[in-house]
Amino acid sequence: MTESRKIDVGEGAAIPNKNDWGLFNAWMISIVGAIVAIIYLLVVHPNPYMRLLTYLGDGIVITFEVTVTSIICACAIGLITGLGRVSKNKAINLVASTYVEIIRGIPLLVQLFYIYYALGRFLNVHDLTAAIIAMSVCYGAYMGEVFRAGITAIDKGQSEAARSLGFNGKQTMFLVMLPQAWRTILPPVGNEFIALLKDTSLVSILAVSDLLRRGREFSSETFLYFETYTMVALVYLVITLLLSKGVSIMEARLSHYVRR
Amino acid sequence: MKRLFKSIVIAAAMSALALTVVGCGKKEEKAAEPAANATAAAPAPKTIVFASDATYPPMQYTNDQKEIVGFEVDVIKAAAEKAGFKAEFKNVAWDGIFAGLATGKYDAISSSVSITEERKATMDFSDPIMPIEQILVVAKDSKATDLAGLKGKSIGAQIGTTSYLVVKDVKGFKAIKTYDEVGLAMEDLVKGSIQGVVADSPVAVEYTTKKYSDKIKIAGVLKSDKVENIGIAVKKDNKEVLDLINKGLAAIKADGTFDKIKEQHQMK
Repeated sequence: MTESRKIDVGEGAAIPNKNDWGLFNAWMISIVGAIVAIIYLLVVHPNPYMRLLTYLGDGIVITFEVTVTSIICACAIGLITGLGRVSKNKAINLVASTYVEIIRGIPLLVQLFYIYYALGRFLNVHDLTAAIIAMSVCYGAYMGEVFRAGITAIDKGQSEAARSLGFNGKQTMFLVMLPQAWRTILPPVGNEFIALLKDTSLVSILAVSDLLRRGREFSSETFLYFETYTMVALVYLVITLLLSKGVSIMEARLSHYVRR
Repeated sequence: MKRLFKSIVIAAAMSALALTVVGCGKKEEKAAEPAANATAAAPAPKTIVFASDATYPPMQYTNDQKEIVGFEVDVIKAAAEKAGFKAEFKNVAWDGIFAGLATGKYDAISSSVSITEERKATMDFSDPIMPIEQILVVAKDSKATDLAGLKGKSIGAQIGTTSYLVVKDVKGFKAIKTYDEVGLAMEDLVKGSIQGVVADSPVAVEYTTKKYSDKIKIAGVLKSDKVENIGIAVKKDNKEVLDLINKGLAAIKADGTFDKIKEQHQMK
């Protein structure tokens, strides 16, 4: 097999190059810089930064919860949507396409308000549940598109070969196409993960006590806006960088048998 | 070898830059204050820009013509007439309204701001406009009459308000939720996501008698040993603006205009 095909999605946070294990790269400098800055602030100005970090603590946990749960749900929704989008069944294809079209046409902030406050009149969902549903439904649509692109990027010869070897449609998809697609789509999916993590800050408008909401509570009470948002930004940066490194490691693992 | 040297130099430069940025941030903050004071010393402005979080009926809200109206708006307008300045209102979200005052985006805050010792440390206040109380609002079928009656339940208040400060340190709630707008807290109470909302008395009365009169009710007044007054906040040491506002407020209180406005808005 030759070089695997790449689909290029140029937006979002950069996933560090999986082959770059050197000490001096953008990722290394950012994370060391962020951690050094946090430690510097905590050591030199323990008041208010120590108090602030303690206050933000459970917010970080909530942000983490929302992110992880939403990533899992969004992946499942995305896979189903992606398969629907490449389905030869017209009805399934249409349903999946319409879902993607509608969701991608509505800002996430509006979706959050809609699910919590508008639909809340009919079905009373917990704020955290509403946040996770909105994030999953929204990112499911985006990931569906990534899955579709990944599947269609596989050479047609692959499915033709599988079919001529006697694989049925399902086997072709799950044993031949998806394992190959997974490798190509990992970078863009990783980008979606990181975008999702950053967008979880929007759930604070539902009064979910996430990292940003905790920061806002702290600053509105103490008026320490500079200190609070510096710390909130640094914490987000560290989490995002760790996640992007995780994706990069996964990518390296999955492509270990690609010859170059 | 050359490449390694190059990357070391770059890394060193980057970390130095990062540290100076953090350091500068601190210095700038201190430097900003005297500079701001200098602008405040300029001749008395004819127009005073008031920031209002217009999501707070009946005190300040937007009507269907998108104008900022309400009891406090009328008070300020009347005071402006007496003291001879022009009042301009700017709709500003509550969360961050104080930060905007500190950075000089507007001259004053007219947004039912309770006068507290903590706030006095970072800004100045006009003479009190009127006293308010903290009220607990619950669903119509709730039996709770005070905060203790909501043990194990979720309670909400607007972020950064004195209402939030009242519940903040009370133990025993399942959750204390902070909302950007008091209306969203009331909405969550109506939906049943939370079981109580603490709000300023005028707002609590408005929501329980008008908007959601069939769904929520006032459970009781949260008694406090201190009187809570609302006033106009101005930037620290902005005497010109403060004097003008106080002059206007004193004038309308003296000649009965204030009571007339209260009557118009059916305030107690």
